[in-house]
Amino acid sequence: MSFSRLVARWQGLALSLVGVVATVWLGLSGQLGLYIHPRYFVFTLIMAAVAVVLIVGAFAAVPAADDDDHAGHGHGPGAHGSGSHDAGGHRAPGGRSRLWMLTATAASILVVVAAVVALLVVPPATLTSSTVEQRSINSASTTLDANRTSGGVGSAAPGGSDDTSAYTVKDWSLLLRQGVGLDWFDGRSASVTGFVTPDADDPDNVFFVARFVVTCCAVDAQPVGVAVYEPGWQSSYPTDSWVSVDGTFGADPSVLSTANIVLTPASITGIPQPSDPYVY
Amino acid sequence: MISFVRSLTILNDILNDCLFTPSNLTAGWAFRLQEPPRRPVYTGWEPREGPLSRLPTERRTHVSAPPTVRAKAAPAGAPPGAPTLRQLTRSEFNPAPLVGIVAVLVLLGIRYLTPPEVTAWMTDPARDFVTLSISVVIESLPFVFLGIVLSSLVQVWLPEGFLLRRLPKNPALRRLCISLLGVLLPVCECGNVPLARGLIMSGLTVADSMTFLFAAPIINPITIITTYQAFGFNDGILVSRIVGGLLIANLVGWIFSRHPQPESLLTPGFQETCAVDAATPRTHRARRTFVQFSQETSAMMPALFIGAGIAGLIQVAVSRNILLALGSNPVWSVLALMILAFVVAICSNVDAFFILSFGSTFLPGGIVAFLVFGPMIDVKMLALLRTTFTAKTLVQVSILIAMCAATLGLAVNYVF
Repeated sequence: MSFSRLVARWQGLALSLVGVVATVWLGLSGQLGLYIHPRYFVFTLIMAAVAVVLIVGAFAAVPAADDDDHAGHGHGPGAHGSGSHDAGGHRAPGGRSRLWMLTATAASILVVVAAVVALLVVPPATLTSSTVEQRSINSASTTLDANRTSGGVGSAAPGGSDDTSAYTVKDWSLLLRQGVGLDWFDGRSASVTGFVTPDADDPDNVFFVARFVVTCCAVDAQPVGVAVYEPGWQSSYPTDSWVSVDGTFGADPSVLSTANIVLTPASITGIPQPSDPYVY
Repeated sequence: MISFVRSLTILNDILNDCLFTPSNLTAGWAFRLQEPPRRPVYTGWEPREGPLSRLPTERRTHVSAPPTVRAKAAPAGAPPGAPTLRQLTRSEFNPAPLVGIVAVLVLLGIRYLTPPEVTAWMTDPARDFVTLSISVVIESLPFVFLGIVLSSLVQVWLPEGFLLRRLPKNPALRRLCISLLGVLLPVCECGNVPLARGLIMSGLTVADSMTFLFAAPIINPITIITTYQAFGFNDGILVSRIVGGLLIANLVGWIFSRHPQPESLLTPGFQETCAVDAATPRTHRARRTFVQFSQETSAMMPALFIGAGIAGLIQVAVSRNILLALGSNPVWSVLALMILAFVVAICSNVDAFFILSFGSTFLPGGIVAFLVFGPMIDVKMLALLRTTFTAKTLVQVSILIAMCAATLGLAVNYVF
């Protein structure tokens, strides 16, 4: 069997194996949450288990199919992958089609190598501030948690004195976005945890304590955050490091920043990245 | 180590025996495909013999005996007439399972031994590109597997023509039924591609399979429930999505059913697979399931990984802010959100939640266009569909669906 056909035949199983090993490893080490919403955890792991059974079976069965192919029956069921590059296998071995097949084989190997590097070599990571810039912070008025947060807005709106101590970055950013006025926010204390990302308009004085809100997977992550006024913050807290900020809300002293209400910190503590960096 | 290898070999033999039922024992241990005459007409469910019932007693005892005991019990000086197990296995030693186990160990080794500093040199956008691409792969992979399993179910395990026989003869009615089939098969769009491939292989026409492909992710019960949870009946979003999706899918099916040579819509590689599949008898089901899994993953996995890479790259390269800024204009919101749908390549099961998070900024027409266009056509889907359809077909289908979705979105914005 030629090398090209060997590659074409095993490429799918190799990629499946890489995907399954990566998925199971992420699942066992509790890092699946870096890529997908927790509601998919069980489904993903079950399908990974099913895939393991199928891959094991295919490893045993495919060589047999290969024998059929060579025993002269012509079309063994496993003989041809369906990718367009397999079509070259039946052409006359002209120079051009051979070159093309070599290219296709090289491309196949490249995909497998890239998959191994991306899924197994690169350590799992969260999204960074560079994605925050791409997706402008607080552009989404997330209302997924409507029952919790809208209740909060309803009862905590001006005059209310309910408990806001459990509010996350997402809850606060939602309240800020919904236009609850400064008179309600002024003097209210908050404790929020998130990563540091600079304010686009006044990066010297204002930074956001931000989190990504994930609906399905990291691709749809939308950044939300609470603005913190702390001139010269960059010297102490690098961008993308995780912090916990205690402070009180007040009017924004910064002229440049578009945020109207900012958190004036009483204390900022650097913390390690939490195991569940995204909010849902 | 040697005994480990030996027990693996034996395990492999047992697998071959149990699963693949060699009908010709004189051919030795290797499985040989004997093409039995194809049954011309399906006659109903026929109970098959148990996998071991056709084996002679001697073989049966071997299979049921614990392999390690048996291997030890076979002495080196066995009578010449009775070949030892080792002699029997050696000639047909199949290295693949061993290769598989080694591959898993190597992959795990790579994972555990790579120091975390290995990516220290990468810039933030590069890192996010990798993270985003991985996220697409991890999210889609289970759905692709599910699609392949369902596809095998239709092709290998259901009696031949089980689904197709029950469809109405009238083409328009048949397409309507097919477009509603998605209610029974709750797979989102990435899983639909292998399923649609399976349907074509088992005899569905290309146009009908397109109807299924584009209707199923929208008509899927999970999608309907999440859309309802997100929007209720506000602004007619839910109704427009379902009705519009069905209309577009049926329209695409009708247009392509007029094609004089529907086979030419398919890639040569896939046509070949179909021809092979049609000639394969429905026997050795477990084995065929595995072979088909290997075939389908060979087609889908490279497409999925490449599609994920492109999706990740676009995420990093295209700023989302511009698209979002256009969201409140009646015309531009439709186009901007369709581009967003194309770029984000989000699963149809949850796209309603995603777009809801922008709800206040966008007009309902734009949201409908997003919810209808996204499940049918996006970056990842095009990569997956390319395994089956020619590039020309995909361009035609994309333009057609984009125009329909835009019309639908504008209609919702201006008419309702």
